[in-house]
Amino acid sequence: MTIHSPGRNTPDRMDLPFSGEPIRPILLSFPIAYFTAAFVTDLAYWQTAAVLWETFSDWLITAGLMTAGFAVIVFVIDVVRGKRSRTLAWPHAVGYVLAVLLSLLNAFVHSRDGYTAVVPTGLTLSALVVVILLIAGWAGRALIARRREGADL
Amino acid sequence: MMRVLKIAHSATLPRLAVVAIAGLGLAGCYDNAGDPKVQIGANPVLPPLQQYLIPPIRIAKVVSWGKETPTVPQGLQVQALATGFEHPRTLYVLPNGDVLVVEGNGPKAPINRPKDLVTGWVQWLAGAAGKGGNRITLLRDTKGDGTFDERTVFLDHLNSPFGVALVGQDFYVANTDAIVRYPYQEGQTSITAPGTKLTDLPGGPIDHHWTKSLVASPDGSKLYVGVGSNSNITENGILAEYERAAVWEVDRASGAHRIFASGLRNPTGLAWEPETRRLWAVVNERDEIGPDLVPDYLTSVRDGGFYGWPYSYYGQHLDPRVQPQRPDLVATAIAPDYALSSHVAPLGVVMYGGTDLPAGYRGGAFVSEHGSWDRSPLNGYKVVFVPFSGGRPSGQAQDVVTGFLDANNNARGRPVGLAVDRSGALLIADDLANIVWRVSSKASEPLHDSAESK
Repeated sequence: MTIHSPGRNTPDRMDLPFSGEPIRPILLSFPIAYFTAAFVTDLAYWQTAAVLWETFSDWLITAGLMTAGFAVIVFVIDVVRGKRSRTLAWPHAVGYVLAVLLSLLNAFVHSRDGYTAVVPTGLTLSALVVVILLIAGWAGRALIARRREGADL
Repeated sequence: MMRVLKIAHSATLPRLAVVAIAGLGLAGCYDNAGDPKVQIGANPVLPPLQQYLIPPIRIAKVVSWGKETPTVPQGLQVQALATGFEHPRTLYVLPNGDVLVVEGNGPKAPINRPKDLVTGWVQWLAGAAGKGGNRITLLRDTKGDGTFDERTVFLDHLNSPFGVALVGQDFYVANTDAIVRYPYQEGQTSITAPGTKLTDLPGGPIDHHWTKSLVASPDGSKLYVGVGSNSNITENGILAEYERAAVWEVDRASGAHRIFASGLRNPTGLAWEPETRRLWAVVNERDEIGPDLVPDYLTSVRDGGFYGWPYSYYGQHLDPRVQPQRPDLVATAIAPDYALSSHVAPLGVVMYGGTDLPAGYRGGAFVSEHGSWDRSPLNGYKVVFVPFSGGRPSGQAQDVVTGFLDANNNARGRPVGLAVDRSGALLIADDLANIVWRVSSKASEPLHDSAESK
């Protein structure tokens, strides 16, 4: 049984957004989602002081760091294999590295016992990470769009 | 648009990165702890509290005693009374002179937060994760010469037992989740009769501080139970602290209880002061706000008294980690009587009423200090004596039994339960080396070679 599929290097395929890198964008979406969710649960803890939300934040930040670690491993493998990303631009890279470093710091802040695990430092760091991810995502996309425009012209 | 990005990139982001990295760097270094001596007595020096990214941890490496023993002052001698226990914690002397050794350790702690994984690892490194026997062993001196030559299992299949007390023919065991009563006849070496539950105690599923210390009132009508908190500082939620961090008064006839005193984070040892007949407790205070905070203490326990935890310590020193705060309770918080210095982990207290040891010890309190794991240099790892006069501590604590740390600060043992045997010697349970030590006067009847009891 054979299935017709376009060759890997046909121009059609090249224009698809995840072309040639099916795993990394999916991997990257995990830490982004976890860190954003941690900000939400931090907000909930700040408002309620219910320890459930702080526990959520702890695990979400930890899961974000672990999945970010996987993404880094995949990225390094790609770089070693000489693959260049078409969906990643330098604002992404700078933003993601910063977000992970701040989240690592945040994991230690969140390991404190009681209210000061979140308020004010933990909550501030969680918010900062979300802001950085938003800026990085938007700026990176804008840069790639400009590059593509330039290429098409 | 790109200009905005460039500004953001060149100014804000690197500065933030520098702050973050500097913060991470700072996590690794902290000041060494101060002199514990300024934190012993009625008015301990309390430095400002600090909060950490990684709180100080200093675990003593575990080594064997070999042929050595703890160190005692001139005129005293120390010998291993018996060895080979499974995490011996509490010691209790029955009226006929038999010694009970309660062997137990805490139930398996749940992993609620990522941090709990690290905590479990730290405890294992410190040798605190040893399997508890969940039983009570009886030692008997059949010849009356100070060697305990007979050894039987007195009670087995218990649930993390700690405190025990005998009132008449009723023998009570404070398991981590209940007080159970057993019938006891003088001279019995083992109890096979089933127990009867007197009352439930706050147990799992978290059971952070699992030990339940126990003493009977002098008239035998009530039992007093030290129930530790379910967290360091309410990180498991305030609801998990229901009826914890308190001394319970349990009616022996009905099993009904009331909170006798509260705000005592972990009251691990209870004893009656003989002159005033007031209840005293050793209490383990909170962690992770500095190597010199908060000093553990020895205090009288007043009926209805509130001693601060979790909202404050040493009276009105607020703990910002607790939210919402309770200013109404803090206003009533009693400062404890006698600080023992920070993180020494007092686990046993006995008021000395014997005659074997020198007269200076009579009427005062021996306190066992299990030893610190979260400050450097290490603190505790010894048995100290707090002199009393007129029912109150009356001077600087003296080191009595030391050497639990060797010259390289490795831990050979960690003292827990204390008791005075019928001859007046001080008994010490060592839950790291699984030994019971006996400290007596050199002038008193000499012990035979301790190897006999091994």
